[in-house]
Amino acid sequence: MTDRETDPEPPLPFANEPLLELRREEVRESLLAAAGVLAERLPLRVPELISEERREGEDLVSSDPGEPALTVALAPIAGEAEVSRAIEAAAAYAPRWAAAPAPARAAALKAAAAHMRARREQLAALAVRECAKPWGEADADVAEAIDYLEYYARAALELTERTTLDVPGERNTMRWAARGVCAVIAPWNFPLAIPCGMLAAALATGNAAILKPAEQSPACGAAVVEALRAGGVPAAAIGLLHGEAEAGAALVSDPRVQTIAFTGSAEVGQAIIAAAAEVAEGQRDIKRVVSEMGGKNCIIVDSDADLDEAVPAIVRSAFAFAGQKCSAASRVLVHESIAGPAVERLAGAIATLQVGQAGSFATDVPPLIDAEAQQRVERYLRTGCAQGRLAAQSRGPLPAQGWFARPSLLTALPEDSALLHEEIFGPLLTVESVSGVQEALARVQRLPFALTGGLFCRNPRTVELVAARSPVGNLYVNRAITGAMVGRQPFGGNRLSGTGVKAGGPGYLLQFVDSHVLSENVTRHGLVV
Amino acid sequence: MAVSTPADQQILDVGRRLLGALRPRTRGPVRAVDERAIDLTSRDPELRAAMLRLVDVAPGCRSPEDLAAHLIGFLGQVEHRPAALSLAMRMGDTRAGRTALGAAVAAGVRHVAHRFIVAQTPAGAERMLLELWGQGIATSVDLLGEATVTADEADRYARRCEEALRELASCYAKAPASPALERDSLGPIPRANLSVKVSGLTPLLRPQAPELGVQDAAARLRPLLRQARENGAHVHVDMESYDSRETVARLVLDLLGEEEFRDGPSAGVVLQAYLLDSPALAERLIGWAEASGRAQPLVVRLVKGAYWDHEVVDAAQHGWTPPVFAEKAQSDRNFEALTRRLLSARPHVRPAIATHNLRSVAHAIVANEAAGGDPGDVEFQVLYGLGDELMAALAGEGYRVRAYCPVGDLVAGMAYLVRRLLENTANEGFLRLQADGRPAEELLAAP
Repeated sequence: MTDRETDPEPPLPFANEPLLELRREEVRESLLAAAGVLAERLPLRVPELISEERREGEDLVSSDPGEPALTVALAPIAGEAEVSRAIEAAAAYAPRWAAAPAPARAAALKAAAAHMRARREQLAALAVRECAKPWGEADADVAEAIDYLEYYARAALELTERTTLDVPGERNTMRWAARGVCAVIAPWNFPLAIPCGMLAAALATGNAAILKPAEQSPACGAAVVEALRAGGVPAAAIGLLHGEAEAGAALVSDPRVQTIAFTGSAEVGQAIIAAAAEVAEGQRDIKRVVSEMGGKNCIIVDSDADLDEAVPAIVRSAFAFAGQKCSAASRVLVHESIAGPAVERLAGAIATLQVGQAGSFATDVPPLIDAEAQQRVERYLRTGCAQGRLAAQSRGPLPAQGWFARPSLLTALPEDSALLHEEIFGPLLTVESVSGVQEALARVQRLPFALTGGLFCRNPRTVELVAARSPVGNLYVNRAITGAMVGRQPFGGNRLSGTGVKAGGPGYLLQFVDSHVLSENVTRHGLVV
Repeated sequence: MAVSTPADQQILDVGRRLLGALRPRTRGPVRAVDERAIDLTSRDPELRAAMLRLVDVAPGCRSPEDLAAHLIGFLGQVEHRPAALSLAMRMGDTRAGRTALGAAVAAGVRHVAHRFIVAQTPAGAERMLLELWGQGIATSVDLLGEATVTADEADRYARRCEEALRELASCYAKAPASPALERDSLGPIPRANLSVKVSGLTPLLRPQAPELGVQDAAARLRPLLRQARENGAHVHVDMESYDSRETVARLVLDLLGEEEFRDGPSAGVVLQAYLLDSPALAERLIGWAEASGRAQPLVVRLVKGAYWDHEVVDAAQHGWTPPVFAEKAQSDRNFEALTRRLLSARPHVRPAIATHNLRSVAHAIVANEAAGGDPGDVEFQVLYGLGDELMAALAGEGYRVRAYCPVGDLVAGMAYLVRRLLENTANEGFLRLQADGRPAEELLAAP
């Protein structure tokens, strides 16, 4: 940032927002109370926000995935005109927000964090209802949103002028400046954390931003924008538009947008990167795309793995939130010497999974987000059953309504099976027996995705080998492979999984700024002055 | 009836008497080597970590060579290696060397395990259990097992428990009468005693949904209680980490409150003094016992708690205040307060004081006397392999002692073994201080 003001009181070092201690009954009761209050307010009327303008509408409907007949939120869909006006407003205000002192912007983010912190239960209840995130996951989503605000607020303060190599008579400095308008296109699976993280990064570095939340989670997206505005981010610096693919495409292709921050499917991500590469008449910037896409995440289980720990961790990685995380486990590659007990114990553990409504604390596996997701998972399951062996499914009846899919384990699939290569984004897990870690690594390396990976192994040398050879962005050893924490596990994938920048890590903010190098001659008449 | 705080001088006197009675049982050359090894590793944190990781992985290794490869990997992370271990690493250079090294390590791990694990099966433990009985020591048998992650595994564990109850009953039927172990002023005490883990009885332990685990475990615990009643055996439900505390407490109180178990069997729970909220649980247990109308008193085993490191790390990772006292002295003080509370809750509660800390033991003896209890009205419990000298001393002084005896194979016992080794090598632990030859005044000082 160009301003040299320093915060009079440097903030405390970053620490992750503590998760709610759900093992305590009084904490659970406070969440249920919040859910009760929310239920009374449904359906929520979620506005479109362009500067001070506020428009309501009923074109877009989000519903409870566990009770599809129940409307959670109603929102207006932004047409071309609204998209254009939102960008115009953001572009007009962007220079003023960029000129605000970095500490003032950071203070607004921290105030937004405080706003969310004061509404922990309400926000979690909203994610439970709109996205069917079970309580623990929903609370973690709120905590992560707060983490991003706190983390990027601090990181932006550190992004000050830096001296590069100096020689006598020459003064060289490097500075960073906001790029302008950032379009944020967010998914529904982390309906608070991911939009909040992308917005916070754009805003902390002085960009104006426009959020288009996923059409499945407009109310969660609106809650994030509301928190940022309540924290002191000017209305003109942050807009909120709703809609499906068209609204997103209009944002991406507008020449007045400089940066696009996207998290979602590989298909949409690649389309955005392609569209952003087009330079329109009169456009002055090459658009920069920060894109987090899918994964096909493998867990390698070596012969010395402790199955007592590996089995629950794998089950959690694959089936929590019904597998609807880009980091979720999809393939298990297990050493042939323990493949028998590993499959048997995984099968038995999957059979015990509690499939149910997200609002029940006893639920392990909630419904999928929508009918389309349910059909997709069923299709993969049918393919898998035809090609291989269905080794296990959860027991007990599925709830009568809701987009439920049965957690399933498949084995004996042919090497070219779609189930081993495509992202399913649902509660299906496959197991393959391999001759050893080398073969497992070879299979991982053949995949085009490289987001997360896991290894269960107790030999330090094998851990080193896999760490050196695995292409994944986030490798987890002897633990579950989901649940990356801001600052602790900067998160992002390689290969087709993303543009490789780690959210919640050092360097993320550099995607949202341009760098300028100033080289000044400080000699006059041969003297250094 | 409240039990007053005993005077430190009395505790010191009793403690000195016990200290004088502590005789190393058989300090043969093998045991001396064990203790040197434990001593050595407990002083170097890296070496200690390497040793624990090695013991942990040993049963999971495919071959001696594989085990040697792990040893070398772990030692590679230790900065200051004693000469013997550098030699071990050099042995790893050849295949023959690795095989020999792996075989030696496997034998070493088995040897260490045998110090803490009585036998592979309850039937196999019979000779040892009767031998202890002959020395005036009762037991509680704990069946080591793999973690339960499936319903089949829970069923299997429950079946093993049922078999164990029958086998223990038949084993102890052969034992001669030992009045001190079989009765106190509250009534008869079963000979056969089995400790049961709820984490073994259900794969559905969910910290945020205790009702799920209660319901699932109850279906397996009920037949066990019936079996125990039939065999005249005692069932003791262990406590584990804080995540399952509520499930365990609710399960035990729910089931024992059921009409069919009014007249038996004898049963018990555990109170962990390192928990900040243990006084509240104590009141809940006592209140329940007073109101239950059961024929037998509720046995409450008071322990410090074996999951301290886990609780602290788990809390740190989640940003929570740990549920345990930060300082060992706080746990020790709370242990004494809870001892007095449990002693005062007789006849509804039968307290069992489970600790290797001589000060805590001496405190309980004095507090019991002060409350007008007979020496036999308070039970002491120790861990087999860790508290051997203490149990011999207590038995010799005429107190009722019960040894907690793990039974099971090495693979299944690993989690237990690692916890015991951690305890044995912890710098603050009483046994370590005692081994260091600290003076009696220091060992017996008020916490």
